[in-house]
Amino acid sequence: MWRYLGRRLIQVPLVLIVVSLMTFLITRATPGDPVQIMLGMQTSKEAADAMRAEFNLDRSLPEQYVLWIGKVVTGDLGRSIRLNDTVTSLLAERFPVSLQLALAAMLFALAVSIPLGVLAALRRNTWIDYLCTGYTVLGFAVPNFALALILIYVFSIRLDWLPITGIGSSEAAAGGWWTYIKPFIVPAVALGTLQTAMLTRLLRSSMIDILSQDYMRTARAKGLMPATVVIVHALKNAMIPFVTMATVQFGYMIGIQVTIEYIFAVPGMGSAILNAVVTRDFPVIQGFTLVIAAFFLFANITADMLYALLDPRIRY
Amino acid sequence: MALAQPPATPRFAGSIRLAARQFPRHRAAMVGLVCLVLICLAAALAPLIAPYDPVQIKLSAKLKPPSFEHLLGTDHFGRDVFSRLLYGGRTSLSVGLLVVAFAFVLGVPLGLASGYFGGRTDNLLMRLVDAFLTFPPLLLAVALVGLLGPDIQNVMLALGLVQAPVLARMVRGSTLAVREEVYVTAARALGAGPGRIVISHLLRNVVSPIIVQLTVVFAAAVVAEASLSFLGFGTQPPQPSWGRDMSEARRFLGDAPWMFLAPTGAIMLCVLSINFLGDGLRDALDPRAWRTRRAVEPDKR
Repeated sequence: MWRYLGRRLIQVPLVLIVVSLMTFLITRATPGDPVQIMLGMQTSKEAADAMRAEFNLDRSLPEQYVLWIGKVVTGDLGRSIRLNDTVTSLLAERFPVSLQLALAAMLFALAVSIPLGVLAALRRNTWIDYLCTGYTVLGFAVPNFALALILIYVFSIRLDWLPITGIGSSEAAAGGWWTYIKPFIVPAVALGTLQTAMLTRLLRSSMIDILSQDYMRTARAKGLMPATVVIVHALKNAMIPFVTMATVQFGYMIGIQVTIEYIFAVPGMGSAILNAVVTRDFPVIQGFTLVIAAFFLFANITADMLYALLDPRIRY
Repeated sequence: MALAQPPATPRFAGSIRLAARQFPRHRAAMVGLVCLVLICLAAALAPLIAPYDPVQIKLSAKLKPPSFEHLLGTDHFGRDVFSRLLYGGRTSLSVGLLVVAFAFVLGVPLGLASGYFGGRTDNLLMRLVDAFLTFPPLLLAVALVGLLGPDIQNVMLALGLVQAPVLARMVRGSTLAVREEVYVTAARALGAGPGRIVISHLLRNVVSPIIVQLTVVFAAAVVAEASLSFLGFGTQPPQPSWGRDMSEARRFLGDAPWMFLAPTGAIMLCVLSINFLGDGLRDALDPRAWRTRRAVEPDKR
């Protein structure tokens, strides 16, 4: 297993190089000049040229890439063209916000899917099972931004229980823990519903599969408490694919937040990339996509490792 | 009702016919199919059905709730929401279909080549696919469309590029499984060239998972187009689009909830129908699913 982990970790830089090359080519092959967008049409040629030279945009494409990747290896992701700041310090601001939102969404997904999936499997073809099926079917069909609007309408406008914005704001940081958590609720539910549907469906089917196994009958026959049978014997085994999938989905979440961040004015990675794309802020696009890709890769490796740790039958 | 027994070695046309006979038994799938056909008809016949011009501004009638005059109410410019819904469906569905076509044309040959030739070709293609799949699909589409310029053609291009690798990887997997079958070896022994083997032996036998995956691509494309338009990267105003209209409805959530409820409902109905259709096709195209269902619920359907 450790050798497998080592092999996977060696592949990470390779995949990241391919990813960075792709983003580099995409940004350079598409129309739009960051310097012109930044300075406007009326600037002198000298000023524009000076700025191009500052960001190495006057060099050939291979040179630009090599210069950039050479610095990335030392941990320097360059400077933003648009904002007077380094990409690393922008990341330090944005990444924690996105991570918190992803964590909140994942917590919601786990809190709903575990009880719902288990109950639906235990009480097949009863109202709770139909509720579970209905929830998963709808969860797969509703786009997260549409759900966000529905939730805002119900909980923020009609009932006026929860705020719409406020994640990462100074007021939220100054107040108590509840003022800090409150603005996360609606976005987290909107973001996590698709994952909830996936996880519930997975847990229900693996629970059903396990409940029909021989060792379940044995456990019940030897007089164990029903709760012990369900939790220790069934749920523990059903959690193996569940944990793997939850980890993979978590790795995905930072990257799929764009629409949610846009609606709730969250100062996260998604909205930063959105702005960077509009203003052709190449260093920000390159740096942020690299971090998102790395996060995703590590989540995947963690998922594989967890799989091997939880299931002794798996050997790499 | 007697079911046709699948022949021991199902021929291509035979298996499709069997699947066609199996499909109507799936109730949810039939409902999905009917809904999808109705949605497509409504979009296609929009100029005939729509009571108003979707871009006609009439400020005297702005933000009116649903009534007999305006079935789904009016928006902040007094435009008829129902008419915009019908025309918006044209954008969503045509983007969906073209993305499916694009992903098919790009992804299937790549997957077949990768699976059939193996070796270095396979390795190179799959590493490229890996890199593509490391990006969250929506973010990649946002980056591509944002950089190319917000335009519906670019949306299709970007979504096709995002979806093709997924399809390619799936086709490769199925091809790998089929490649080692005895009939492929037999065909090769009989002197069939790679072209013939790939087209008439491999493609034929991986067509079922491809069809099912294409329904997934279609649903994903409809949602992605709406997301991009919502973010301002897709359809540009005043052209009607479900995602774009929802973005505008955002400012009037409290005053005119019908403005966002109508497109939300349309997208959900569309995606639900496609998902149900996909489930039905998956079952109908998989002979193993028929037998188990018959064994569990004899003659219930």
